Amino acid sequence: MSVDTTEPTAEAATKRRRFVIPERFFTLQSYVALIMVFLAAIVFSPRRGGEIVFLNSENLLNIVRAVSEIGILAIGMTFVILIAGIDLSVGAILGLAATGTASLLMVHDFGVAMTILIILTIGLAFGATQGYLSARLGIQAFIVTLAGLQVARGLARIWSGGQGIALAYGDGADVAPRAFSLLNSRTFNGTVPIPALIFAGVGVIALIVVRKTVFARHVYAIGGNERAARLSGIPVTRVKVTVFAISGLLAALAGIIHAGQLNQGSPNDGMGYELDAIAAVVIGGTSLMGGVGTVSGTLAGALLLGILNNILALNNIDSNVQLLIKGVIIVAAAGIQAFRSQQK
Amino acid sequence: MLVPLLQMRGIVKHFGGVHALRGVDLTVGAGEVHALLGENGAGKSTLMNVLSGVVRPDEGAIEIDGEPVAFATPADAQAAGVAMIHQELDLVPQATVTENLFLGREPRTRFRTLDRAAMRRHARELLDDIGIELSPSRTLSSLRVGEQQMVAIAKALSLEARILVMDEPTSALSDSEVERLFAILPRLRRRGVGVVFISHRMDEIAVVADRGTVMRDGRNAGTFVVAETAPAEVIRMMVGQPIEQLFPDREPPRDAVRLAVRGLTVAEHPGGGRTEPRDVDLEVRAGEVVGLAGLLGAGRTELLDALFGLAGHRLSGTVELDGAPVRLASPRDAIAAGIGYVPEDRRVSGLVMMESVAANIVLSALPTLARAGWRRASRERSAVAASIRDLHIKTASAESAVGTLSGGNQQKVVFARHLLREPRLLLLDDPTRGVDIGAKSEIYRLLARLAAGGMAVLVASSELPELLGICDRIAVLRGGRVVTVLDGRSATQEAILAAASLEQHTTVEGASTAARREASGRQG
Repeated sequence: MSVDTTEPTAEAATKRRRFVIPERFFTLQSYVALIMVFLAAIVFSPRRGGEIVFLNSENLLNIVRAVSEIGILAIGMTFVILIAGIDLSVGAILGLAATGTASLLMVHDFGVAMTILIILTIGLAFGATQGYLSARLGIQAFIVTLAGLQVARGLARIWSGGQGIALAYGDGADVAPRAFSLLNSRTFNGTVPIPALIFAGVGVIALIVVRKTVFARHVYAIGGNERAARLSGIPVTRVKVTVFAISGLLAALAGIIHAGQLNQGSPNDGMGYELDAIAAVVIGGTSLMGGVGTVSGTLAGALLLGILNNILALNNIDSNVQLLIKGVIIVAAAGIQAFRSQQK
Repeated sequence: MLVPLLQMRGIVKHFGGVHALRGVDLTVGAGEVHALLGENGAGKSTLMNVLSGVVRPDEGAIEIDGEPVAFATPADAQAAGVAMIHQELDLVPQATVTENLFLGREPRTRFRTLDRAAMRRHARELLDDIGIELSPSRTLSSLRVGEQQMVAIAKALSLEARILVMDEPTSALSDSEVERLFAILPRLRRRGVGVVFISHRMDEIAVVADRGTVMRDGRNAGTFVVAETAPAEVIRMMVGQPIEQLFPDREPPRDAVRLAVRGLTVAEHPGGGRTEPRDVDLEVRAGEVVGLAGLLGAGRTELLDALFGLAGHRLSGTVELDGAPVRLASPRDAIAAGIGYVPEDRRVSGLVMMESVAANIVLSALPTLARAGWRRASRERSAVAASIRDLHIKTASAESAVGTLSGGNQQKVVFARHLLREPRLLLLDDPTRGVDIGAKSEIYRLLARLAAGGMAVLVASSELPELLGICDRIAVLRGGRVVTVLDGRSATQEAILAAASLEQHTTVEGASTAARREASGRQG
């Protein structure tokens, strides 16, 4: 009964092919975007005596320095988002760490090494606690870290009496050791800013961790399918606690750098930084659903944001306009990712 | 002759380098139930995705009532009267049956508010129309899977669907639910609806379908009239060559008791809804394959879960491996003790879908392949290569996404993951569910080989011929308890069913089950 009696007439109708973007583009998306923004920055850069100001090596290094704090936060945030979590507390931890650093150095007369050790430990413990509450008690990371944000800000205000603490360097009591001002200096004959160097170092370590450690594979597996990960014998709770601990630790590190760069620590430091960090991760192509993403993409995303801020500042463009442009770029990055999953 | 309701001709579809469909024809008449068969990976799903507008074909024509159509989106297909009843249903679990039926096209009153009275009335009519006995005010999530499926069908029909695609509709249903589903098919026929019925099960097709189309490697392997064709003939079309022997020969088990379970009881989970093991005594010897049989809800999965540490601290009683008691507070404990588990639903519990075949294979063995937490790429690569070779995993490369593999090969990836840890005891929950006959046969042979190597195997299955074909002994569960243990060689389907359903007055269901299992047994 399936004899063909009608002529094939509809073949043309179904023959048109869909416009398909190669998958490779998506995996390289953040780098493509970074290069495009870089080229655009060259075009729109002001020129001084024929020289492109944007390409000035001092300017370029300044970009890395300026983005170092957000970049370090974003690296920790990448791991958190890879396990389908979110960490809203990093900006507040940065503020707590900056305040604590200034207080320990100025008020309590701790040495530089001791101060850094204590502050990093506080960040680590704060993150680990959030991780434990989220992983063990099953409270959503969004809620736990929203609460953590409030707690960290509150702690910072109590610690400093609500005031910012300015750093003064010198010898003896009630001043900070001169060694700490290194964070505000440059190395390699005064070229490379120390914060940029630390950012690069953290980035390299994170890249190695992602490529070479069992831990990173566990992170991806948990984000991809938590139940399968558990049934495969992965210590899910331990990995999650570790991830939040790393995020807290890096936020504290960023806070120390913040205090060093601004020569002060204030409980209001780092307000909204968590959103910039999340933006860098999203622009870098990491999925908020977890399981998919890269640290290198995040680094590209952070640099992209840095270049954007820089070129807009070089052209004296209103910082409110900067916000608009940042918003558009985030939506574009997320939109391309959405298109990618539709195409599959 | 009459113009058929649906005609698909010369459908071609490539995905990247993969030739998924190579010119497939499908013709379905009005009021016809048309079976679509083929091994996993034969192209059934792709063809149905073309029909429902999810995937656009590279070449080929689709006609409905002789009119050429082209679907750019699923909405286009729906507007043309094509509805797909998915294995994962497109309904809102938290909403009532009525709300689901009218989702997105709710009737309004004059004041633009929701007309709940009209909704209730129409819902009742819709359900009555196809003979579904169900209260429309119930929440969808409180319904059984089969009942949810009925709601999906009612919804499709209310959207004027003329072509209904059912993708393995019975795979998640109990026997009585299957009967209810089959009972509404004649009504669909009378309404002139054409049904495309995708199934692996010859017995079902014999009951419900008029004609069938067999696909193999993206091509038509044949079209047949069900009443005039022997199941063996259809199977030959599916696999290309006959399978000489579905079940492998087995070596006798050894004497050493590998697994000894005594008085294993799991306290009810606060959430409930599961049949937890109660006072289970069970032994599995090295080299032995022991089956777990029982009706749906008898507690097979729950027993395996408990043995893999998923019951955590709710577990009491003793579990010994090779004479030594083991702690089973988590899957980690179980894996460390030498237990492997191939769970029931590989998509939910087994695989990380977006990751590669290689990443999925080494997932459990990562710490043992690494040195102090640092991965050793060469050791991982050789472990993956060996697994792919040993288990005949068909994949373009080790780096392909595991989601691109066929069901049987995905299942082998989960096997490979646990085998890399060299377990002493392997737990399997319905390991051949949703895999084709070729892969089934391979999995049975693999189990025989593992047992011959001294591994103890505990396998739960809902397919009795499978248990009878591969097990040395079969433990029958009812209400979480082991009611009897039968010898695999002398047991019969009737004996297992009698033990499984005693006291429950399910004789009618049991008998029909026996008939269906009998039929599916013949295909092997």
